[in-house]
Amino acid sequence: MMLVLRVLAKQSLHGYAIAQRIHQVSADELRIEEGSLYPALQKLLIKGWVKAAWRQSDSGREVREYRITPAGRRQLEDEMVEYRRTARAIGLLLDKA
Amino acid sequence: MAIIGEWFRRLSYLLRRQAMDDELRREMEAHRDEMNQAMGEARAFGNTLRLREESRDAWGWRWLDDLRQDTRLAVRTLGKTPGFALTAIATLALGIGVNIGMFTFVNTLLLRPLHEGADEVFAVHGRTTGDPGDPGDPGDVDTLYSYANYIDLREGTADIAHLAAVSTTFVGVDIGEGTRRTLADAVSSTYFPLFDRSLARGRSFTAEEERLGLSSRVAIISYPLWRARGADPGVLGQSVRVDGEPFTVIGVAAEGFTGTAIPGPQVWLPLGPGWRQLYVIGRPRAGTSVEAIATALATIGPRFDQASPLRRGVYTLEMSTPSRLMFMPGPVSKVLTASITAALMIMPAIVLLVACLNLANLLLARGHGRRQELAIRSSVGGGRSRLTRQLLTEGLLLSLAGGAIGLWLASLATGALMATIAPVLPAGLVIPDLTVDWRVLAGTVGFSLAASVLFGAWPAWAVTGRAVAADLKRRSGEEGRRPGGMRIGNALVVGQVALSLLLLASGGLFLMSAIASATADPGFRLEGGLLAEIDPDLAGYDEARGRASHLAVLDRLRTIPGVEAVTIGSSVQFSSTSDSRDVAPVGAADARVRSVGAVFTIVGRDYARTLGLPMLGGRDFTDAELAPGSERVAIVDDALAERLWPGESALGRLIQFLPEGLEAGRAAPPEAAPPIRVIGIIPAVKHSLGNPRPFPHVYVPLGQQYENAMTLQLRLADPTAERAMLATVARAIRSVDERLPVLRVETWRGRIDAGLDVWLYRVGARVFSAFGAIALLLAVVGVYGVKSYTVSRRTREFGIRMAIGARPRVVLWQVLREGGRVTVVGIVIGLALAVAAGRILQSFLYGVDAVEPVVLITAPLVLLASSLLASYIPALRATKVDPTVALRAE
Repeated sequence: MMLVLRVLAKQSLHGYAIAQRIHQVSADELRIEEGSLYPALQKLLIKGWVKAAWRQSDSGREVREYRITPAGRRQLEDEMVEYRRTARAIGLLLDKA
Repeated sequence: MAIIGEWFRRLSYLLRRQAMDDELRREMEAHRDEMNQAMGEARAFGNTLRLREESRDAWGWRWLDDLRQDTRLAVRTLGKTPGFALTAIATLALGIGVNIGMFTFVNTLLLRPLHEGADEVFAVHGRTTGDPGDPGDPGDVDTLYSYANYIDLREGTADIAHLAAVSTTFVGVDIGEGTRRTLADAVSSTYFPLFDRSLARGRSFTAEEERLGLSSRVAIISYPLWRARGADPGVLGQSVRVDGEPFTVIGVAAEGFTGTAIPGPQVWLPLGPGWRQLYVIGRPRAGTSVEAIATALATIGPRFDQASPLRRGVYTLEMSTPSRLMFMPGPVSKVLTASITAALMIMPAIVLLVACLNLANLLLARGHGRRQELAIRSSVGGGRSRLTRQLLTEGLLLSLAGGAIGLWLASLATGALMATIAPVLPAGLVIPDLTVDWRVLAGTVGFSLAASVLFGAWPAWAVTGRAVAADLKRRSGEEGRRPGGMRIGNALVVGQVALSLLLLASGGLFLMSAIASATADPGFRLEGGLLAEIDPDLAGYDEARGRASHLAVLDRLRTIPGVEAVTIGSSVQFSSTSDSRDVAPVGAADARVRSVGAVFTIVGRDYARTLGLPMLGGRDFTDAELAPGSERVAIVDDALAERLWPGESALGRLIQFLPEGLEAGRAAPPEAAPPIRVIGIIPAVKHSLGNPRPFPHVYVPLGQQYENAMTLQLRLADPTAERAMLATVARAIRSVDERLPVLRVETWRGRIDAGLDVWLYRVGARVFSAFGAIALLLAVVGVYGVKSYTVSRRTREFGIRMAIGARPRVVLWQVLREGGRVTVVGIVIGLALAVAAGRILQSFLYGVDAVEPVVLITAPLVLLASSLLASYIPALRATKVDPTVALRAE
């Protein structure tokens, strides 16, 4: 979920585009399956961290675009701080132990 | 705060579900198109349907969908077997209905707050700790004060509490068709403001009216009294006659307002400084703690001079909850009503239990019959919990339907009950209606839920076990003997039979008690006795004129032809309302005998003769002793004489009346009571219906003490003419003085039949017999239901048997025998329960023992016969099975 928020923090995207972006930006390492994406998007909507709206995409298609909200940005920051802290701790453990 | 937003979003989803689901579908389609376009192949998107479901579930409303689905399916399934559904609902309606009915009764009498803000109102009572020099002295509690005490209390707590005082008395109120003696409360001006919305119209008493007391001639009437007078909106300012005097109505109490206790008075009068025997209640001021009030009371307590010379403990004032049931007529009846109340809720609960056992069995049987259906559903993916939920929903629907009908039945029944209680009450009293308030509704839902869990949960779980392949193929009729299932089913039937027997036996004991009490020998001659109540106070007579009235009426009644003897008394024997005194011997008396509590009655001449009792020794009162100023004499009964001077003659001995524990409120403490000489002995009569042992009585003549309300007793020469004489006696009394109201003229037989004690026994008998009958019905239905299903499950077996050559009669007997065996086991257990119940009931039921052979033989026979009858029809059906049809393979 943090990944989705991070992607949306940069720009508003629709479902397929989000999946694509994650795949691209992570240098093809991470791929998010639709089975996880859509439930995650629903949860983000419930919590009010993203908003959704239908609009015309560049290719002329009707797509439902997700936009991050201020509350979502705050959540993203919290989660990133938490993740970095955990990653640092794990790194220390792996190096020193 | 974010939570609120989240819930708001969840709720808005609920409202727009369809639209949002569509959006999701479109979105996923678009995603898939795009993916296919980009990849150039139909890549697997994943199961869109499942994804949509998962997304939907994320919003958290899945349970609602499931519930809707379960309910719809349950309604359909139950609708397919209307016979079962109706039987189940009827069973539940009975079981839940009796519980609601009883709960309504208990709720009105004991639970429901009598008025708004009830829990804040407290009463003040005084406690005297035990005499430090006497370890066996438990101390004493008193609740009554003088007006001066009340003012003291009020001023001492003025800034932390509102206080009010109330005293209960009887007055004669003119309510249209003659004067009726009714309950009245004399209250301080602060009384009505103590409660929220206690007045429907008008105002409370003012401080000035309180200063004048009754002389202010103002009154507040109760709501029912206002309604009885025509519910005139212009009632304020009208006049109502109280004790013969006109009082101005200045207010009408709110509907259902009875003060702090039930029953409540018909009229409220202003208290005055001369009043004694006041009950003090109060309400804390806003923001005051209970401790602050307790402390204030503790400070004031020692100022009160409450200790009588005979008590030496420490006196303190405490707060307590006001007693709720005010009118408890006598020691034994109080125990009776308390025990009945306790038993009241147990019995309906047992009926409900029987109903639930019934239903559990039926559901179990039905579940086994549905095993194929459930096996199919389980194999296509229905989880066990889901299936169980489905069955539970069915059960819940049944319970709620049963509960609703039960509520309706209960309201009918309680309405009927209230209709029978009104004519039996001793005086004009106000009782709140047995209404259905939120507590009763909550109770209904609670009972329904409890019932559905009780009978539904376990069968649901048992029946949704993992499906076996054979289950998919198996149909009803080919079950064969499944020992596990049968055992449980039989155990349930045993339980039902045992509980039914318990209720039947208890009902039988109550019936016996009711019959015994109605035909009990009271210890004096009942036939040919008449009673008439008069009260000169109601005509406004003082003591001198009252005495004259009493004697004049006595003389007049003696002249009526057919009247053998007439007497007069301050209370009536064998009734539960009477006065009592502590009687102690004076002079050289047995040191062990300190005092004996005896019923105290002021009587005229010929008392023993009118009652048909012989004089055991000594003489009757003389006319001189009926006038004040004569020597103090008394007649005692042999029970009292035996207690005070065992083995010796009581004649000529001196007795005295000890002052009652704490005679608070008297202006001056009573002097040492002057001695009284015993001049006659008569046989003891029984105290009351509930107390069969002869109770000590002491009788003093009219001259010694004045009591305005007296009852005349007449003995007729011809007992069969007693009903005809009623009018004659009434006319005779009125001919003496037409201002003197005649309150009641009745025969002894009529009085006993209408008495509260008898009514209680009778109602108890009716109620418990009804419970027993309902339980019997339920058990019979249960046995029938179980046997039906058992037989239908075993048609193949019976078919084979008869094909091999077993005669139908043998098959019939086999089924009956099986049923009978189960019933007998249930009866044995039930007998044990019945005896235990009998031991409890015996202590407060009149005239029955714990083991009454009549009851303990009849009830089981009835049960056995019924259950055999119930098994008969299914058994017959077993014999009708066509062997060829049954043997045919699926």
